[in-house]
Amino acid sequence: MVRDADPGVSSSRRADLLRRGVTWLRQPFPTPPAALRRGPLKRAAFDSKLRSPRLTSLLGLALAGAFTVCFGTGLISHLIQHPPSWFWWPSRPVGLYRVTQGVHVATGLACVPLLGAKLWSVYPRLFSWPPARNLAHAIERASIAVLVAAALFQLFSGILNISRWYAPMPFFFTAGHYWSAWLAIGALLVHIAVKLPVIRQALTRATPDRTPPGGLSRRGLLATVGVAAGVITLGTVGQTVAPLASISVLAPRRPRTGPQHLPVNKTAAGAGVRDAAFNPAYRLTIVGPAGTVTLSLADLAALPQQTVVLPISCVEGWSSTGTWTGVRLRDLVVLAGVDPDNAEAHVESLETRGRYRATTVPPAHTRDPFTLIALRLGGEPLHPDHGYPARLIAPNRPGVLQTKWVARITVRSAS
Amino acid sequence: MTTARRCLIAIGALVMAYAVIGALTDPDVKFGALIFLAGVLVAHDGVLLPLTIGVGILVGRYAPRRARALLRAALVVSLAVTIVAFPLVLGRGRAADNPSLLPLRYGRGLLEIYAIIWATAAAAATVRAWRDRRRPLHRRRTPRT
Repeated sequence: MVRDADPGVSSSRRADLLRRGVTWLRQPFPTPPAALRRGPLKRAAFDSKLRSPRLTSLLGLALAGAFTVCFGTGLISHLIQHPPSWFWWPSRPVGLYRVTQGVHVATGLACVPLLGAKLWSVYPRLFSWPPARNLAHAIERASIAVLVAAALFQLFSGILNISRWYAPMPFFFTAGHYWSAWLAIGALLVHIAVKLPVIRQALTRATPDRTPPGGLSRRGLLATVGVAAGVITLGTVGQTVAPLASISVLAPRRPRTGPQHLPVNKTAAGAGVRDAAFNPAYRLTIVGPAGTVTLSLADLAALPQQTVVLPISCVEGWSSTGTWTGVRLRDLVVLAGVDPDNAEAHVESLETRGRYRATTVPPAHTRDPFTLIALRLGGEPLHPDHGYPARLIAPNRPGVLQTKWVARITVRSAS
Repeated sequence: MTTARRCLIAIGALVMAYAVIGALTDPDVKFGALIFLAGVLVAHDGVLLPLTIGVGILVGRYAPRRARALLRAALVVSLAVTIVAFPLVLGRGRAADNPSLLPLRYGRGLLEIYAIIWATAAAAATVRAWRDRRRPLHRRRTPRT
């Protein structure tokens, strides 16, 4: 091959190309006229002695940890909802998803004062002069703009989502929040790599606090940010930690508030299923290799019933525990003629459209005796908003995958 | 620059490229996400942060020296809580057929939190003033160099 004909020449040419590329990146830009250096661009336009690389590094460290937690828990939630072939999520412990998603939302909200203080601490750098020394510097600054924008995107879109205000977001929240998370994490990695020497020096070398007496000290600001994060957490976390519900005056949900003491995301009227749900001709259709079985509500109630205590855990971070009674999904899988220890079930709602009208229950959850087609909640027939006549409830799964108003289950052997 | 840092930059750049390609090929993202991305950046760096710094300057100019630190701290906490509470107080997410959604009176809740923040700050200021009367300010804290 031509490439291998004379490796000496080609590798030296490559090194030369690389060197020229680096020189080109470092080629100094012409200095902009000094007359343009006005307002915040002026030297010492920002005079707070509170700002220091140490403060920024400490806030950055906390923020990097928080963003990693949010990214990890968010990715788990995404993978459960859109599982690639290699992904596996257990059905136990039953409340694991309630914890991961509760942590996701609580950590994101606690980031609000952290990110605010971090951005304040580096705000003068937005006006550094000259704006760009060379192309490499310009690229680095652009990557910081991307990092800041993506971080703000995550916090603001998350806050809007838990308060269910979608009008300011001209895109589908879940998709935007997901891709922006990748953007933020990528930009964060670049940022940490670029700033590593500064961070290391700031954290290892003692930096005197130059704040004037009587003003807010560095320790004072860090404590303030901590208090703000604590107030926000206490104010909202009662949406999933029920004992704190009474003090969480800003919780978007109350775990015991809703029909049958359980919150609702989508109502029967909103889903357009009221008539179909109350139609006496309602039948649950189960399709499998053994053929098709249709069961009326009375037929379902005549099958062996199981009662389980399981949480509904919403992607929005709230959760609430209910006592559910119904037929084990694995018993219905047997009716369809499939081995319940190695089966997956496609569960469809009476809803005619909607992103979450159907879900596939993976083998781990189909096998689990806690996975029910529930008919009752707290001993009463399901409230229509909770999925009357029958709904799916499985352990350790996001609420959007707990299909309500179940009309049809298609069972197939997994593997 | 060490090899480890170069590798980290390369990985970060790849992840960012993955995000951009993913967003461009996802029909649910649309152009609106880019507007929102730029919008939050401009709103924060161009409006929210300058206003915050402006209030900080006013505190530095007009507030009594002894009250400044606590005043700033209370303002920062109040601002952070307000950002989280604002869409809840506005209540645009409410739905007539779903009373379990945003079930609380968030305006009142926010006022309660303000009351706690400012009562705590006032209590701390009183304690500090009482201590300062016993120990003069200039002797209590001298700037370290």
